[in-house]
Formats: sequence, structure tokens, C-alpha cells
Amino acid sequence: MGAVRIRRAALALLALALVYGVAAEVAHGRLPTRVWMGAHFVEDVQLLPTYGSLAEEGAFLVESRILPDSIVVSSRRVLEGLLLGSIAGILLGLATGWAASVQYLADPWVTFFRFTPALALLPLFVVWFGYGESSKVLLIAAGVAVITLLGAHQGVRRVPRVYLDAAAALGAGPGLRFRKIVLPLAFPSIFASVRIAAGLAWVTIVVAELIDARMPSLGYLLALSGAYPRVPTMLIAIATVGALVLAFDLAALLLHARATRWMRRSA
Amino acid sequence: MKSIFNQRSLLWLASLLALIGAYTAIASAAARPDLIPPSQDIAEAFSALVSGPSAKPAPGEMPAAEMSGHAHHHHGRSTDQVDTLLQAGVTLQASLGVSTLRVLFGLAVGLPLGILFGLWMGWSRRADDYLHPIYVLVRSVPPLALITYIMLWLGHSEAHRLIPIVYAVAVTAVIPTYHGVRDLAAKYLVAARSLGARGSLLLNKVILPAAGPAVLGGLRYSIAIAWMTAVGAEMLMADDGMGNLLVGGGMWASRLQTRSDPAVIIVGVIALAAAGWAMDAVAQAATARLTRWVR
Repeated sequence: MGAVRIRRAALALLALALVYGVAAEVAHGRLPTRVWMGAHFVEDVQLLPTYGSLAEEGAFLVESRILPDSIVVSSRRVLEGLLLGSIAGILLGLATGWAASVQYLADPWVTFFRFTPALALLPLFVVWFGYGESSKVLLIAAGVAVITLLGAHQGVRRVPRVYLDAAAALGAGPGLRFRKIVLPLAFPSIFASVRIAAGLAWVTIVVAELIDARMPSLGYLLALSGAYPRVPTMLIAIATVGALVLAFDLAALLLHARATRWMRRSA
Repeated sequence: MKSIFNQRSLLWLASLLALIGAYTAIASAAARPDLIPPSQDIAEAFSALVSGPSAKPAPGEMPAAEMSGHAHHHHGRSTDQVDTLLQAGVTLQASLGVSTLRVLFGLAVGLPLGILFGLWMGWSRRADDYLHPIYVLVRSVPPLALITYIMLWLGHSEAHRLIPIVYAVAVTAVIPTYHGVRDLAAKYLVAARSLGARGSLLLNKVILPAAGPAVLGGLRYSIAIAWMTAVGAEMLMADDGMGNLLVGGGMWASRLQTRSDPAVIIVGVIALAAAGWAMDAVAQAATARLTRWVR
């Protein structure tokens, strides 16, 4: 099964790359290069840049350190926000899942933030924490915290009552039950929520950096390439963001596989 | 049973009141209306945004209020952001209406697309093998990163606000559908097939009912992601909708440059939370009705 799947996947990706390459070559010189930008026309726009010009642009972006710097800056923001938000969210979620009274107390707050698109808080965070690092990192953390809170909460709630009762009947105290039953059983749900949150963190950071476009960052690169507009840069920036999202997701999956090796028996 | 419910809602209500009380206390203790506006400022911003341009003071009075600066505007809500919005004829209800329409459009087009794609990939091993890698690539690109590129192709129009929403919804709707079909394949599909079910019978009587709950379960995520994308797209490039209201009106470059009024933003955030909550409640009720037979 493995070999067939890999061959088919490679074939599909190859076909996609080929279709783009051919389309770009065919479009070269045929697509209009004069584009209306809302306020004025812009000349010399390659709507579908060929691989040649993409490679040229990519080499320039790498050599000038623009792309590597942007990757580092944006990834660091996402990682910091993800870490901060996950810690806060998971701790709160474990608390609301474990103690009913905490849940009722936290419920209005959680309901409110759950249905607030994280991006809507951006202007508020800019007012509170200024432009720059902290407002972006905290914005990501806020979005991440809500998702991981719900994940941890549901994970704890899905622990079968029987396990807890049985452990209690055998004399396990609350601390032991929490550590040995609740935490391991809630882990998959917590983990899934962190994975979703990581994807959301990237959506958030790109827009936050686009709206407040300063300093090297991927959003800045996107904004810059959109202002000129310079399509090869734009496509490279888009592809880079996509690759980073994919890389984060793969890293998360690998981590998950390692952390839950002990569960494999049933699968 | 009833008493538990009462106790629960009492705690809920108490916590909500505590939330409002704590906010009011912090706001008055901080005494920084430019950062943490008092509840009364928020209420005034709300009423100014709901009643619209007609309620604003006569143009002659405005500069004086503006001159007085931002740190101490206790009389009336005449801040840069409220003024900018009112001058542009923005009201809260109109902004919310426009955003809701965009979200609904994104759901109406994106959900069928995503569900069909999910059904196809979940149903056919071959399609899964070929399409899944491409889907993973597509899924990884944040929809709002594409907004400028779409604009280059389609010009400055409604399209580059709607396409990211459709894209985000469709990509999100694929996963639950895919897993719904996949999970049932092992259990019922083999049985149904060996009993001779094929084609539309299989689809209507086995696949759709069995995958239905998973598909509908994904609806909540789709709604949330649609709102997020709509607000982001409107923040980036739109002259209407909630995203525009939040960043303070005006178009294009140097968004967020008008001195933001936190009262307006808080009003907008509360309105968005309420709208998202209402839409989610409708979706939940519909899901419960449609999947009544599951329990």
C-alpha cells in the first residue's frame, strides 16, 4: 500500500508542478501586464511568473537575507504566541474540566472569547500594547489560548467516569487520579487542539503583519510585494508561509507520535 | 435536576455580572479612558454607531472637540475613530449586516465545495491518493495571504473579499467529511456492499446518513473560520463591514493609523461575538434536529 500511495502522491504533485510550469510559459507574453490597482494602473505585472523568474527572485530574496530574516521573525512570533497561549489555555481548560465550579465561573468569559474572531482583537491589542512584538505575540496567544482551553476541557470531560470511580474506590487521591488518569486520557484532545491552534496562529500572524507592515516579516514581504506589485515575490512569500504551516504541522504530528507511543497497542 | 440547572445559571449570571463589575472597577481605577474606556464610554460609542451619522454634532462643533485631544474626552464620544466612521456613514448594524452576508455567502459556496471534495476523497482510495497531497498543500496556505494576488487577477472588487472566505470554509469542511466517510467505510460499507447495495442506494441510505453527523459537526469550525476570514479581509481591504469598523474606516494603506478608539473596538468585538454566537446556536439547533435519529 505504501509504495502505491507514495507513487501516486508524487505523480499528483509532479503533475501540478508541470501544469503550473506549462501555464506560466504559455501565459508569458499573453496575459495582460497592465493591471488596475484600484487607484491607478501598474505596468509590467507578471500575473503568472515562470519558474525562471521565480528562481531568480528567490535567489535574490535569499541572498539579500530578506527571506531568511522574515522566516525567523515570523516563526519566532508564532512559536512564542503558541507557547504562551497553550500553557495558559491548557491549564485553564484542565481546571474548567476538572472542577465544575470553575467551569461555571469561566463559562461567560469562554463563550465570549470563543466566538470572537482573534483578528478582531488586533486593533485593541495595538492600542494596549503598541505596535511591535508584544501586540502580535499576545494576539496569537489569545487565539491559541481559547482553542487549547476548549480542547483541554473536552479532553478532561471525555474521561469515563468509571475510571475515576474505580481509581477512587481503590484509594487513589485526587492528585493521583488527575496525573494517572485524566492527563493521559485528555492528552490526544489537547494535542489536536494545539495543532488546530498552530494553523490559526499562522493565519493570525500573516494578517497582523500585513496590517501593521514593518520590519522584516513574512506579512511585511507580502504587503510590500502587493504594493509594487511584484508577483514573484508575492508567490514566494505565499509558498513560504504554506511551507512553514506544513512544517509546523508535521513537527506536531511527529511529536504526537512520539508522545503517544505507549498508546499504540490497540492500533 | 431543576435546582442544579438553576444553580448553574445563577453562577453563570453571577460570573457575567462580576465580569462587567470587574471591568468597570478596573476602568475607573486605571483612569485611562484612552486605553480602558469606562463602560459609559462604550455605551456612548455603541449608541453613536447605532444611530449613525444623523446623531453626530453639527460640523462646526467638531474641530473643537477634536482639538481637545484623546486623553480627556469625557464629554460625548467625539474621537477620531467615531468621527471617521460617522463621516463615512458607517453604522454598526450595516457593518454587521454586510459581514454576515459575506460569511453566509462563504458558507453557501464553500460548504458544498468542501463537502463534495471530502466525500470524493473519503469515498475513493484512488482519488484520496492523488488528491490528498494537493489538498494538504492548498490547506497550508492561509487564505488571507492570497488576498492581494486575487486582487491582481480580478481587480478591486467584492471577489477578493469573498474568495478567501469561500476558500477557508471549503478547506475546513473537507476534513470532517473525509473522516466521516472514512470511518464508516470500515464498519457499514463492507456490510452494505456485500448485501448488494450500490450507487445511489449506497450513497443515500448508507454514506450520507452515516457521515452526516461528522459533516454537520464540522459546520461549527467552518462558521468560526468564515467569520475570522471575513473580518481579516475587511480589515485589509474593504470600505465596509465589521473589519472596516474595527480599523477605523478609510480605505487602503495606513490602516490602523487613525488613532484607534478602544470603545469602538470593544463595541465591535462584542457585536462580533454576539453574531458568531447566534450563528453557532442556529447551527447547533439545526444539527440537533437533523441528527435526531443518531441517539
